[in-house]
Amino acid sequence: MKRIAALIGKDFADLRRHPGLFWPAGLTATIALVLPFVVAIAIPRITGELLSDSSDFQIAAEMYRSQSGARDLDAEGAIQAWILQQFLPLLVLAPIAGSMSIAAASVVGEKQARTLEPLLATPITTFELLAAKVLGALLPSIALTFVCFGLYVGLAAAVARAGVFWILLAPRSLAVAFLLGPLAALAALQLAVCVSSRTNDARSAQQIGALVILPLGGVLVAQLTGSFALTVPVALSIAAALLLFDAVLMWIGIALFDRESILTRWK
Amino acid sequence: MIRADHLTRKFGARVAVEDLSLDVQRGEILALLGPNGAGKTTTLRMLTGLIAPTSGTVWVHGEAMDRSTAARLRGHIGLLTEAPGLWERLTVRENLLVYARLQGLDAPATRVERALDLFEIRDRARDLAAELSKGLKQRVALARTLLHNPDILLLDEPTSGLDPESARDVRELIVRLREDGRAVVLSTHHLDEVDRIATRVAVLSTRLIAADTPAALRGQLFGIRVRITIAGEAQRYVSALERIGIRNVHVDEKVMSIDLSQMPVDTPAVVRALVGAGADIEAVTPEQPPLEDVYLRLLAERVSAQHEPRA
Repeated sequence: MKRIAALIGKDFADLRRHPGLFWPAGLTATIALVLPFVVAIAIPRITGELLSDSSDFQIAAEMYRSQSGARDLDAEGAIQAWILQQFLPLLVLAPIAGSMSIAAASVVGEKQARTLEPLLATPITTFELLAAKVLGALLPSIALTFVCFGLYVGLAAAVARAGVFWILLAPRSLAVAFLLGPLAALAALQLAVCVSSRTNDARSAQQIGALVILPLGGVLVAQLTGSFALTVPVALSIAAALLLFDAVLMWIGIALFDRESILTRWK
Repeated sequence: MIRADHLTRKFGARVAVEDLSLDVQRGEILALLGPNGAGKTTTLRMLTGLIAPTSGTVWVHGEAMDRSTAARLRGHIGLLTEAPGLWERLTVRENLLVYARLQGLDAPATRVERALDLFEIRDRARDLAAELSKGLKQRVALARTLLHNPDILLLDEPTSGLDPESARDVRELIVRLREDGRAVVLSTHHLDEVDRIATRVAVLSTRLIAADTPAALRGQLFGIRVRITIAGEAQRYVSALERIGIRNVHVDEKVMSIDLSQMPVDTPAVVRALVGAGADIEAVTPEQPPLEDVYLRLLAERVSAQHEPRA
């Protein structure tokens, strides 16, 4: 654990002096944070047309209000809550996309800076090295997710209809923010670190790591189209699958991390 | 302290190192010499346990290095890689502190402060590694290599790209480490550096071509020669040398150059014979061919041996 903590500390010190790496994460998180409020609140206010006036939304609102917790909301509040909840996975995924650049550069960056060989000459194990690299990208991502979630709930309390923000504190929303989000981030960043240790180019790692986000993005789209409902049991099932996937990815990562190839074939 | 026993390393069909055996003891500096691609870095990596030999064994303090022992035995070894490999956006102190923790040292901060003093880099401790000159980076890298107090040092081109003053500093440091009782294996292209600090030389070209002290290698290849400067005409005293059995004397005005390698006498006997004949000796100096000549001849012999038709 001490060696993992030492390497994470080094990566954080490095990040503090290279704040530009946070720009993609900050930018995507800001867009994910603002976009639902633009759709649910700003546009209706600007146009003067309530969402509840739309017949399409009325059906959704009626279905939504049948759920516990949403019964006390008026029609407009229910639609706002529905939109904010549908966009929640996007908010959770956005910091991952941003942190991908950190994970993608983690091992290949050490190779390019020629710092990997002295690092490998220490007693650090492959698991410790990979765990430190994944956590070095994951922890800022999770921190950003939590900050964004807090802002999301705060904004909802400030600008949405009364009571809407409570929906965001329901078990389903919390499961998405605090369980699915971190586990999905772990999978995506692990994949990026795995690829980062097998490639000469951080961009390849970034692109392949981003593939993990696609199925989760699909969940978002399926929700919006109504073909899929992310209930608490479904969220827990996905979380269990992600946990297994994360463990398998770590095992694959260790198996693929060939110190000899990294040292001898990469120039 | 560290021994390579018939090491061979292949990368696919290419043989990087073949049947290499060497042994380095406490207080020795063994210089690995060889052209680019001769297998020097591969050898250092095998000695560190970073890559495994295809066949053969590395022994550290009498214990064989393998997958199960490599991480622990690396605790005895300090590897200085060809590039300093410092994290550029970290300060000197931070760089060392991370390594002290990675090495699992007790009181890492104290170890780092001691290293800052020992390597005279305390005044740059707060500077980012990116701001250091190449010589200073190398000094910090050496400090990092020694943080865990290893008794075996493997140095890959430690003075490569350094200005003469920085290179001298690093050389002095290496000599100090040898004097402290460490075993040092040094890979380098700087033959003058080897001449100054190495106690033994191993010339590699995939295989080990020769390994001995610089003086012994010179003797084997060029013989033992002595140059004697005499006040007056040196030719007059050749007969005095012939009387003690020395035939191979080259005279150039007041200087005589004598090959003693196959002779039954040594330098003091030569001096006595000349003085006895009335010669007024101004200087006696051993005639040393540059190590470069030794190295190039060894490589040339290796090439010609490879091209010799087999019987």
